[in-house]
Amino acid sequence: MRLEKCWFCSSTVYPGHGIQFVRNDAKIFRFCRSKCHKNFKMKRNPRKVKWTKAYRRVHGKDMTQDSTFEFERKRNRPERYDRNLAENVLKAIPKIEKIRVTREERHHKNRMKGKKRKIQKEATRELEQGISLVKAPLALQKDPSLTLPQKIKVSVSQQQSEDNNAMEE
Amino acid sequence: MGGKCPHRSVKKRRYSHKTARRTKFLIKGDDMVYDQLNKADEERPLPVDEDLPGMGQYYCLHCDRYFSNVAVRDEHFKTKKHKKRVKQMMGPAPHTQLDAELAAGMGMPDNGPKLMSM
Repeated sequence: MRLEKCWFCSSTVYPGHGIQFVRNDAKIFRFCRSKCHKNFKMKRNPRKVKWTKAYRRVHGKDMTQDSTFEFERKRNRPERYDRNLAENVLKAIPKIEKIRVTREERHHKNRMKGKKRKIQKEATRELEQGISLVKAPLALQKDPSLTLPQKIKVSVSQQQSEDNNAMEE
Repeated sequence: MGGKCPHRSVKKRRYSHKTARRTKFLIKGDDMVYDQLNKADEERPLPVDEDLPGMGQYYCLHCDRYFSNVAVRDEHFKTKKHKKRVKQMMGPAPHTQLDAELAAGMGMPDNGPKLMSM
């Protein structure tokens, strides 16, 4: 039994699922669901459709190069059954999966590194530009509760903090 | 090019006959055209086919279309559609099953050791 990959979205096609199209040059196209089949019939390019794996790979959204990708592959030769080997493989699968998931999480974290600051910046700008819609500028001057507090730098020496600790005790 | 195959919900025009959309099955896919273009260039005379326009002598490789004479074909070469197509074919190779598998996190296919050294 072979679990094929969908031509369009690269998801796994399990037996009894999806549809396959054989073109008149004997090339096989497998699709996991009618959504993918319809997109193929519309001649869409999977590299330009955002929800496909091909798009995510091309645009650096997903991890692309990793040693864990070397395990799953199409093997075009028969493997002789070996009970010990099969046992070891079954043991290794969850371990490898765990490693892959952690690496993917790390990749995602790295990719989202500058995101928090960006969101903060955008929110600040929106507040500055749109505050007049909530409260009139004149009223805001009298009661500045809706503006962001200005950051004030306070220099604290080591000596003082130690004193504070002593006070608390 | 694709032939007429309107949706069933449109009552005015219903061509459910396969013959009406015959060209849809005859047209080549993007990857076939791409492979053809990237093959070793050998100028072979086109085979004479009396069923095709202009006996199949005036052919546009990029768009997979036959024309009735040279003038019409050269006119086609000037069109926006053709230029777009040429640009597309100059770009990266079309998506294949192998690309789909690599994107899914699979390695290159394992064909085993070569049995006979060529």
